[in-house]
Amino acid sequence: MTLKTEEFLLNLGPQHPSTHGVFRILLTLDGETVVKAVPIPGYLHRGIEKLAESRTYTQVIPYTDRLDYLAGMLMNWGYVHAVEKLMNVEVPERAEYIRVIVGELARIASHLVATGAYAADVGGLTGFIYTFRDREDIMDLFEMISGARLTPSYMRVGGVADDIPDGFIDKCRQFLDYFPTALDEYNGLITGNEIFQARTKNVAIISAEKAIEMSLSGPVLRASGVNYDLRKARPYSVYDRFDFEVPVGSKGDCFDRYYLRLLEMEQSAKIIRHALDQLPEGPIKGKVPKVIKPTAGEAYAEIESSKGIMGTYVVSDGSTNPYRVHFRRPSFVNLGYLDEMLKGWKIADAIAILGSIDIVLGEVDA
Amino acid sequence: MQVKGKGLLKGLGITLKRFFKPKVTVQYPEQRLPLPDRFYGKPEFYYDKCIACNMCVNACPNKVIKLETEAVDKKKVVTRYDFDQQYCLFCGLCQEACPKDAIKFSKDFELTQYNRPDIKIKFVKPEQVEQRKEEIRKAAAEKAAAEAAKAAQEAALKPETADKEGT
Repeated sequence: MTLKTEEFLLNLGPQHPSTHGVFRILLTLDGETVVKAVPIPGYLHRGIEKLAESRTYTQVIPYTDRLDYLAGMLMNWGYVHAVEKLMNVEVPERAEYIRVIVGELARIASHLVATGAYAADVGGLTGFIYTFRDREDIMDLFEMISGARLTPSYMRVGGVADDIPDGFIDKCRQFLDYFPTALDEYNGLITGNEIFQARTKNVAIISAEKAIEMSLSGPVLRASGVNYDLRKARPYSVYDRFDFEVPVGSKGDCFDRYYLRLLEMEQSAKIIRHALDQLPEGPIKGKVPKVIKPTAGEAYAEIESSKGIMGTYVVSDGSTNPYRVHFRRPSFVNLGYLDEMLKGWKIADAIAILGSIDIVLGEVDA
Repeated sequence: MQVKGKGLLKGLGITLKRFFKPKVTVQYPEQRLPLPDRFYGKPEFYYDKCIACNMCVNACPNKVIKLETEAVDKKKVVTRYDFDQQYCLFCGLCQEACPKDAIKFSKDFELTQYNRPDIKIKFVKPEQVEQRKEEIRKAAAEKAAAEAAKAAQEAALKPETADKEGT
């Protein structure tokens, strides 16, 4: 007698901790194997792009915090970078250095969440607690410099909101001195764990060609062995003045994507150290009129955020409000390959694969 | 991987070591970490400093602030300054825009209320407005009195000087 089987549908999320927010995947399963996966985003859609149209250029900045809320500083940066390009504003050197410092700190904080949450996704909750312990130091630094932990709204068109407060640099250096020991701990606790390796190695391999084809970016792209980091490939701000490497993965599996973030954090720490050493004196805000009113035109600028290439497209009609703002959100674009990545893997792997892309739903849904 | 489970034991070693280290958590309501000066907590409004320039109202992305004025003797008197906290992003743009530091964020972050209407802060009290109006009227009256006195004095002096010139 043959057993009759049929495929069935399973909703993963939207309320599920391992989807890293309110994200839903409609899985078609054959037993435990994924046959088809349809990502259904949109549960966290707030219409930030539309909201921006009814606000002045400066008033959009607090909204960009809420895109990738794990690296608000970088989202601020992406937006002001585009407006500066639109207005042809020169940013003072000190402001650029401060931006690099807080930007790289945000990258570390974001990668710490990605690393810890990934460990928790595959069953090691301890790793999560350890990375969050160290992320707290960065949150304290952000609170010191901007007054808020997650939603800093720290950058302004033409510079930054405030100068570095007393004690910030010392505290930052303290963190940088401590950070290598923390990385060792993660390596011992998560990377070296055999169970973790068994769950992630050779899982959902993305080839370099396919990664480029799907316009993936950030750690997901570099893990596949493509050496493309905007900070090196097309340096913006003052990134050409720092000596750092772009870590590249060899295989493009989940483990590579995870491990690449640890390597990137190391490089980010190196950049911050350089920036603190070279930090020049001077003004923190360029010559920007009080009422920002760019001449009619458009600009598109990109930065390398923690998830990938974050682009902002700003159109001005000559008024004080932007006519149109569009964000190229890396998590959203990276998610486009999800179906093909999940196909053929088991449900438990689906969680591991989704975690390795490191999505933030604030950014996916905007 | 020579010995199976070596990495696993190493991880356990790390957690065991951590067990004997001091705690990093704080027992919140009793113990509190110090907050930095730039922290954005509950807003504070300084009535006497406000010049009713509307800068904060225009700077706010969410139209949280309602400012109403009344003209008394050609001077603006703030009669209402409502801060609807539930829509506040705590971005600090109003504080940044204010030329007189009349609005400032304090370090008080425990903002929960039992009733929704209590969330809205009405900063200006009627007594304050009355007092200010009274002050302006008094100042105006004093000014008028001073001017009258001055004019009278000048009028009294004028014939004298005219006399001097005449001689």
